Amino acid sequence: MREWVAVYKRGLALDNPLTVLMIGLCAVLAVSTKVEGAFFMGLAVIFVLGMSSVIVSSIRHLVPEKVRIPVFIVIIASFVTIVDLTMKAFLPDVYDFLGVWIPLIVVNCMILGRAEAFSYHKPVRLAIADGLGMGTGFTIVIVGLAFIRELFGSGEIVFLGARLLSLPAGYPAPGILVLFPGAFIVFGFIVALTGWYNRRTAGRTVETSAHCTIEEGGR
Amino acid sequence: METLQHFALLLVGGALVNNILLTRFIGICPFFGVSGAMETSVGMAGAVVFVMTLATTATWVFWNVLLEPLGVGEFLYIPAFILVIAALVQFVEMYLRKMSPALYRSLGIFLPLITTNCAVLATATESVRPGFFTMGVEYTFGFGEALVYTLGVAIGFGIALISFAALRERLEVAPVPEAMKGTPMAFITAGLLSFGYVGLGGLFGL
Repeated sequence: MREWVAVYKRGLALDNPLTVLMIGLCAVLAVSTKVEGAFFMGLAVIFVLGMSSVIVSSIRHLVPEKVRIPVFIVIIASFVTIVDLTMKAFLPDVYDFLGVWIPLIVVNCMILGRAEAFSYHKPVRLAIADGLGMGTGFTIVIVGLAFIRELFGSGEIVFLGARLLSLPAGYPAPGILVLFPGAFIVFGFIVALTGWYNRRTAGRTVETSAHCTIEEGGR
Repeated sequence: METLQHFALLLVGGALVNNILLTRFIGICPFFGVSGAMETSVGMAGAVVFVMTLATTATWVFWNVLLEPLGVGEFLYIPAFILVIAALVQFVEMYLRKMSPALYRSLGIFLPLITTNCAVLATATESVRPGFFTMGVEYTFGFGEALVYTLGVAIGFGIALISFAALRERLEVAPVPEAMKGTPMAFITAGLLSFGYVGLGGLFGL
């Protein structure tokens, strides 16, 4: 059990897929204009990552080394299709907002990367912990980024039609935060902050580098 | 003339106004991954133009000949497109290795990388079911339109990647605060670069 928790917690800060491993960034920068969209994107990723980790891990002895990548992709694509159709049926507004980013979860290198680097080699219960942990880490960062951008960029946070939080009237909202440069700049500061926090608490040098290059995405 | 203008607008809209990297964040991974050096960026840009055009050709035909007439497109397009693109890239790689070793040496290592690049899948998806780039009306791209749009997107990818690589080379020698060194600074630079594209928003009503 302690091992399970340890694996789960790695995804939250030390090995956070977004701010430390730098994989699967595209969706985060794009959908973090609204807390609502970011939240459901996070849920979709937790579901796909958790389920694909379970399946990949449970068939790891049956899948030969050579065909593993196509097999992973088909498994991931099936779960993404489930999310795609479910969201279209029950949350049409969110679906329209997320648009092309739902099908793009398939090629999110975070999911393929975790299947390749973790689930394919580990027993099912640890694979679940890793999938859920990485998914939760993803959700925390994406919702946090969306929170900053929506609150300060538009002055209020609207979640499923209800206004949760708003800054006092007359606040001059800098619209640039909601536009695309805001995503890059705010995220840059979040990365710097996580790196600083990790160095402080763990006393561990964390390599922040764009990971989704030849070794992650390139098979 | 009308059609020429239409195609020109598709090209500019895909390349500059809706730049896939800096305004829509599709394909950000290679953007930060390979932009460290100028040479690899140029190679990557070339490979993307090549693969993206081929991939959209294949998926457009696949959708219009097989998926759409059979009525299964709605729920099969994700796995189908991924597999078509992956298979295509494999064939291209094998063909290049055999027939054109010089081209293979310059593009080779980028080809497998591109299979899982979201930019290729996104463009292929948008070419058959344009939800994002509609120019005001909902309609389905014809083959020529899909091709020109894809070419525009790929060129925009190349422009953004190469200009960012040039900026990062200068950044190597710039005095950057300790905490911001490396990736954080790269993000902020990309943000500043994308400011330029804010100004293009809404150009020609695209």
